[in-house]
Amino acid sequence: MDATREIYWNVGRGVIAPMYAVALAAAAVFAWGLRQRLRVWRLGAPEARLQPWGARLAGAARAVLGQGTVLRALLPGSAHALLLWSFLLLFAGTLLVMAQADLTAPLLGVTFLRGGFYRAYSLALDVAGLVAVGAVAVLLARRLALRGRLETRAADLAVLAALLAILLTGFATEAVRIAATELRDAPDLARASPVGRLLALPLAGWDGGALRALHRALWWGHLLLAAAALAAIPFTKLRHVVVTPAGLFAGDRRPRGALATLDLEAEGVERFGAATVGDLSWKDLLDADACTGCQRCQDRCPAHASGKPLSPMRLVRQVGEAARAGGAGAALVAEIGADAIWSCTTCYACQDGCPAGVEHVGKVLALRRNLALMEGAFPGEEVRTAADHVEVNGNPFGFDHAARGDWAKELGVPVVAPGEAAGVEVLYFAGCQASFDRRAREVAKSFVRICRAAGVSVGVLGKEERCCGEPLRKLGNEYLYQQAARANIEAIRARAPRRIVTTCPHCLQSLGFDYRDLGLEVEVEHHSTFVERLVAEGRLKLAPGALEVTYHDPCQLGRYRGVYDAPRRLLGAAGATVVEMARSRRDAACCGAGGGRMLAEERLGTRINAARVEMARETGAPVIAAACPFCLSMLEDGIKAAGEGERMVARDVAEIVAERLGG
Amino acid sequence: MKILVCVKQVPDMSSRFAPDGAGTWFAEADLAHRINEYDECAIEQAIQLKEQLGGAPEVTALSIGPARVGEALRKALAMGCDRAVQVDEPQPSRLDPWQVASIVAAHACAVGYDLVLTGMQSQDRGSGQVGVLVAEQLGIQAVTTAVSFEHADGAVTVRRELEGGARARVRVRLPAVVTCQLGLNVPRYPTLPNIMKAKKKPLDVVPAASLLSAEPLARTARFFAPSRRTGQVMEGPVDQLVDRLVALLGEKAGAKRQERT
Repeated sequence: MDATREIYWNVGRGVIAPMYAVALAAAAVFAWGLRQRLRVWRLGAPEARLQPWGARLAGAARAVLGQGTVLRALLPGSAHALLLWSFLLLFAGTLLVMAQADLTAPLLGVTFLRGGFYRAYSLALDVAGLVAVGAVAVLLARRLALRGRLETRAADLAVLAALLAILLTGFATEAVRIAATELRDAPDLARASPVGRLLALPLAGWDGGALRALHRALWWGHLLLAAAALAAIPFTKLRHVVVTPAGLFAGDRRPRGALATLDLEAEGVERFGAATVGDLSWKDLLDADACTGCQRCQDRCPAHASGKPLSPMRLVRQVGEAARAGGAGAALVAEIGADAIWSCTTCYACQDGCPAGVEHVGKVLALRRNLALMEGAFPGEEVRTAADHVEVNGNPFGFDHAARGDWAKELGVPVVAPGEAAGVEVLYFAGCQASFDRRAREVAKSFVRICRAAGVSVGVLGKEERCCGEPLRKLGNEYLYQQAARANIEAIRARAPRRIVTTCPHCLQSLGFDYRDLGLEVEVEHHSTFVERLVAEGRLKLAPGALEVTYHDPCQLGRYRGVYDAPRRLLGAAGATVVEMARSRRDAACCGAGGGRMLAEERLGTRINAARVEMARETGAPVIAAACPFCLSMLEDGIKAAGEGERMVARDVAEIVAERLGG
Repeated sequence: MKILVCVKQVPDMSSRFAPDGAGTWFAEADLAHRINEYDECAIEQAIQLKEQLGGAPEVTALSIGPARVGEALRKALAMGCDRAVQVDEPQPSRLDPWQVASIVAAHACAVGYDLVLTGMQSQDRGSGQVGVLVAEQLGIQAVTTAVSFEHADGAVTVRRELEGGARARVRVRLPAVVTCQLGLNVPRYPTLPNIMKAKKKPLDVVPAASLLSAEPLARTARFFAPSRRTGQVMEGPVDQLVDRLVALLGEKAGAKRQERT
């Protein structure tokens, strides 16, 4: 006998009409619900996020089907991925049934769920169902076990319980059918449904009529539950099955950290940044719906971990709540709180770890832009003073701008005059820290020594260099940022350098990326990659000296630029052994100085740098290597505050390399 | 009601100052400029009064100097002043306080202001005279060193800072000149829309010669850096150190040893 099963066994073809009616009703509720969400998204400002649709579709498909980001949290990630994959299989199986029973068989007389294919199909669905049950059970158990640590609402549990109920009624329906049919007529075929068969065995002795009655009840129960789940998608966290792929499709395709350069002179524009829901983009509002509350952003947030009033997850949800409650005009700052908005270090740990592609940082910056540009607000008086210093002196410390190149004079590094950059291979943009901060000057000096050892001629802008503006930009002050940027761009253009190297990844962000919008096109590189290449090309000879270090990934270099290996290779070439901290590379914890926080006092909660220094201390390495003057300063302060000054020291990779020049 | 705010643009105090060619003032090269911080308080007070009176007063900011003072005036406009006057003078440092005051007074006399606000002194020259000299030349009252300011019924009530932490409350009828001490208020940070609006507000440029008729009463003889006084490290046994320190304090600061009974 051909291996197959009767599709509408027991329930009869008479159920087709009511079944499709139920399904259609569920689909209608689903569509109506989704339309309601779409209305909320439309409250946001337009933003071009749909082209190029081919590449976006491919990217979204890869992210959804591959579950790459989801899997970064091993246990819940695996459970989620297995649940998704098995549900996709089960859904495909249902579609095949539908295709045969209601299309190919009645219209063309073709059936394909038979023979070997049917056996394989049956086995695959049984296994998929079992995997899905296991995955839901794990997720449910985790939610219950992590009570208190993982914010769990009743709805979170209800959704999982509903999925479990759908799966279990599916298996029960199958088991009763097998008990009434295959177990009696085709025991060999029943083995293609191992789970169903196993559940059917205890029912083997039941009366046929009772089994049929039970089957009908279960069949309807399964159908109604599934239909209800479909209808519930837009109204529960299940909506992420639609919204997350949509959000991934509409994701930000620009280089990490890119911000729209505001046209400050635009005629008739008198609103900047986001004060209300309507000032955010539609993607920002979609994000609020894509969030499932997995809490990964919050768990990775340095501000949240140090007791500051910021949770990236809460912020995203508050945007959604404000939109639904108050519409486009709903005020955001009152809802979210200025302290939360200023607490962000823009380290991108939240966004980088978000499986739903939610863009947290852009929202924070939109809110900050409004506070800074429309209200002249700063996170503190000291930041206002620093901004004032940048405006007048070109550096946040208030040092004489004319003294900016003094460190270079001592070393005999030439100040490049307009039109004379051809004479040097590298124009070194030192940045404010290396120009004025006694500690960071050592990094500048080390870099110059490295260049000289490699035969690379270096020049500087001297007093023509100004603060790159990055901290101010991250604090929302686009006006002062652009003012600083234009002055730098003018100075750089007048010299037309072949290549700019900077020892500060914040300067790299400005010169290499942000300034492009303002018309600067020049190759800009961070010293870690530049020096590493000098070594790789054999231009820089090192005399390796053994040293145990742990490497702190600066956010602005790691998560922003994806530079993780070059500094480590460089340390290796210098003879250092790198011991990794508990959180490194993409998962590295911020030092606390990003997002303009370098200029601000840390008044709320505990110290972010203390937490990072503790992670470094746990490695036992006596040296924390960094590649950013902000990080260097924060780590050094953290070491002092922890009383570990005797045992630990923070150093820039350039300093470690400069001590090992040889050949 | 018309309010005049006198604003001086001064070098940032972190700058390295060197004597100019004549040796009577500092050289301009490499200096970064900002608004005299006392004058910033004066601007803020004028704007607060304007807001208190429902926007009725017209606030004019005036500055004497070359084109660069336009930046200071634009900032004053961005903070909320209505119009600005640049008294064009390529070398304002050549003017003594009496001449500066006479320029302001000549302008004020022509327009007719009810209130003149300015800083109690400038961060660079620090003569502290211009405000009172303006009042003198206009023949109106002056109140200096204001740390609080209230306006009601055509009069202002000002708390003045006196020596030794004492305060005096003074009430004057307008017109009057009030010079502002730091701490009078917190000058606002201009918002972007206001910065943009400021670019369209009127900024008149008037040659200094048209307002200046007074001869200088004071002349700067020489500009020089104070001699560097370095700290002194004393070493030795503690009892000797105490005696030496007491002797030094008596010699340098006139402190006397009090005998213990």
